[in-house]
Amino acid sequence: MIARLENVHKRLGRVQALAGVSLEVREGELLALLGPNGAGKTTLVSLLVGLRAPDRGRVELGGRDPRRPEARRILGVTPQSTGFPPNLRVVEVVELVRAHYPRPLATAALLERFGLSGLATRSVSSLSGGQARRLAVALAFAGNPRLAVLDEPTTGLDVGSRRALWSQIRRFREEGGTVLLTTHYLEEAEELADRVVVLARGRVISSGSPAEIKRRVGLRRVRLRAERPPELPAAEKIERDGERFTIWTHDSDALVRQLVNSGLEFSDLEVTPVSLEEAFLAVLSEEVKS
Amino acid sequence: MKLLLAHTRAELLALLRSPGFLIPTMLFPSMFFLMFAAPNLEGTAAANYTTGSFMAFAVFTVTFFQFGVGTASERDNPWSSYVRTLPAPPLYRNLAKVLTAALLALLAALALVITSSLTTPLNVPLSRWPRIFLALSAGGVMMGMLGTALAFLVSPKAALPLANLIYLPLAYMGGMWMPPRFLPELVQKLSPYLPTRQWMELVWPAIGGSGWDASHWLAVAGFTLAFALLAGWAQRRDERIRF
Repeated sequence: MIARLENVHKRLGRVQALAGVSLEVREGELLALLGPNGAGKTTLVSLLVGLRAPDRGRVELGGRDPRRPEARRILGVTPQSTGFPPNLRVVEVVELVRAHYPRPLATAALLERFGLSGLATRSVSSLSGGQARRLAVALAFAGNPRLAVLDEPTTGLDVGSRRALWSQIRRFREEGGTVLLTTHYLEEAEELADRVVVLARGRVISSGSPAEIKRRVGLRRVRLRAERPPELPAAEKIERDGERFTIWTHDSDALVRQLVNSGLEFSDLEVTPVSLEEAFLAVLSEEVKS
Repeated sequence: MKLLLAHTRAELLALLRSPGFLIPTMLFPSMFFLMFAAPNLEGTAAANYTTGSFMAFAVFTVTFFQFGVGTASERDNPWSSYVRTLPAPPLYRNLAKVLTAALLALLAALALVITSSLTTPLNVPLSRWPRIFLALSAGGVMMGMLGTALAFLVSPKAALPLANLIYLPLAYMGGMWMPPRFLPELVQKLSPYLPTRQWMELVWPAIGGSGWDASHWLAVAGFTLAFALLAGWAQRRDERIRF
């Protein structure tokens, strides 16, 4: 085990950001922390990387308090890509970060891995959004850490850059590295993670393999027009607006089969995937409360 | 040591690449000196005395703004948070900031000495410079502390206007622009209670070659301690709000 949170509580102003979270990150795994915006992911990460202290509970990084600088030698973190020191060049930012670690990666190798070689002497303030994002993720690996904490690494990246970044994350794992990744894309967790922990309203509401989590939080929305409400065992929730029905389900295939077999007259059938945010609003938030 | 060097390098590079900030900060005191002080300086004694005052003003400008406005704008910057996740205590970065400000203050004071020696009968014996350096440094530390306190007490947006509101009267009433006896009577009465005036009471004897009165050292040390405590308190208060 490389990092651990034990019954952690943290209040930020009037919001109880974390309400009794326990979590273990095992050596060598990729753990995805999944949750809608405002679930407490960023707060959890800020405790783990030593930026904040918990109000209650314990946080450990390599068996030590992450607030101590020497505990953070095994740690690499992504900064927010909007906040680089504006007057420095890409290579200077990388060198500054590398100077903090005993055995950092070579600058040229790091830049090459993240497709930044051609940008080494560019001022960080002149980078595009995607380039800045890549530099931010590269910095998490600059110190050759044992644990990389990537807070929403691919937000705002195009499909090509996202795939390229995923392959770098996999490479780091093959070399024995551990990754904690926060994301609100179920797809990203599915693609990369060994294990997924779902956070909502400051609590862990679910954890398991990506496939298990997808079954639990991966919802689809089925819309149709009918004169009377359909009877569907596969439906999690049915909303009615006149003749229009919106049905939430974990298994749209089974639902459509049930619909056809029920003999109900229907029209305008439409099946759409649901973002995690929408899934939480529609169904999961009620499960959390109960 | 490697870390101190890395952070100092980053600070200096960032500073050198923003000439729009660097050049005005460095040259403003010299320009002020040329416009208002230099034309009236006839003898060497007056030139020495006034050059000392304006050197202190130059050091004041750099340290107060570097720590006041600079620190305030960093409070909001996500990069500062990121640096705190790196495996090093904040000491190195803070020390790098102090070194950078000290270098900048030294350059600003040097620019003033050059300006003065070209336009006035300035003549300060070499043996007096160590004491001048000491007196200027002590005041620089004091004003850096006041700047830091200000940076953590007010919102980043308010820091610049408020800094100006404090800085100009402190310089004027402390006797940095003209000898205290030329100040209005009310200001003359207030002046001895100001940190800037106590500082000048260290700079003037150093440049004139007379002895220091220990009470002024005590006053400067007292103000420095008070500002440091205020800065520490304000910083902890700020952390409680944000973290």
